[in-house]
Amino acid sequence: MVHNIHFAQFIPPTAIHYATGTWSNAAGSVGSTIVKRKTANAETSLITVPVEVPSNSVALQGARLDSIEIDYELTIADLTSLTAVINKVTRGAEGAVAVVSTPAFTQSPSAADSKVQGKHKLVLTITTPAWIDNDEYYLAQLSAVAPAGTVIDLIAAVANFTLKA
Amino acid sequence: MIHNTHFAQYIPPTLFHAVTGTFTWTAGQVAGEISLHRAAANQTSVITIPIIIPSNSVALQGAKLASIEVDYEILSGEPTSMTWTLNKVTRGIEGAVAVVGTVAKSNTVADAAAKTVDQHKQVITLTTPAWIDNDEYYLLELSMPTGAGGAVNEFLGAVANFTLKA
Repeated sequence: MVHNIHFAQFIPPTAIHYATGTWSNAAGSVGSTIVKRKTANAETSLITVPVEVPSNSVALQGARLDSIEIDYELTIADLTSLTAVINKVTRGAEGAVAVVSTPAFTQSPSAADSKVQGKHKLVLTITTPAWIDNDEYYLAQLSAVAPAGTVIDLIAAVANFTLKA
Repeated sequence: MIHNTHFAQYIPPTLFHAVTGTFTWTAGQVAGEISLHRAAANQTSVITIPIIIPSNSVALQGAKLASIEVDYEILSGEPTSMTWTLNKVTRGIEGAVAVVGTVAKSNTVADAAAKTVDQHKQVITLTTPAWIDNDEYYLLELSMPTGAGGAVNEFLGAVANFTLKA
């Protein structure tokens, strides 16, 4: 039996979903790192991280999601705002829509501090860590309201979880 | 407890990170396959493969990365060279940059043979297999100047081989 509370899963920038804005592959500001880079433009982009951890159809088995960390860099200008949300998607049965709910979480650094120029490691900690059913998955989403000048480099995400089986 | 030295993780080409060049998603040469297709052009492309295996905040637990296999085809125009570099990225704390270190490794297919027009399975083996901390990840980078021949390539996928312990 496995019951290990210290697992983590790297989620590369190429696995992340970007909507609104011009996003392209680029070398990171640190040599040999990779990023998705948003060209500077005044617009609101949605960055959605699919949380790729295992699930299990039996209660209290598989992965219990504890937190999600997102590494990114803002250059040239601060964002107007950066709002994080965690969505739990319960998949629909054949012919039915999915149902989305928003689990409570805390974040570090704060929304005010996470929108300023610099290198960031934003940690979203789920208030009540959740075992993931095989009909569910999680999406961590950032809504980035950018003025004309901000360039966003999305570097990576990491999901921290307990594995039990 | 699990201690299994034979785990492997398929990494699809949709997760590969390609810069410089014209890359598109195409069907592979074998029906049913998928590929990241590079169009012929005289330029140096860099393709980076993120190694998406678990990590663990406790020493000697989680995944110990042993090797990475990359399947690709060179369809025409042998490139000038293909250079593989394995990098370990240690993530920065809030406000700090990441630190990148180059990892010692060996290749099963010699440089000269790995760039011929053919189907290839390059195996990159770490000299010292490494347990991965939750503040680290690995990136396998291919730098490929193509020269006048241009080189048409298809990258089919990669597989990371690792020990899982928990």
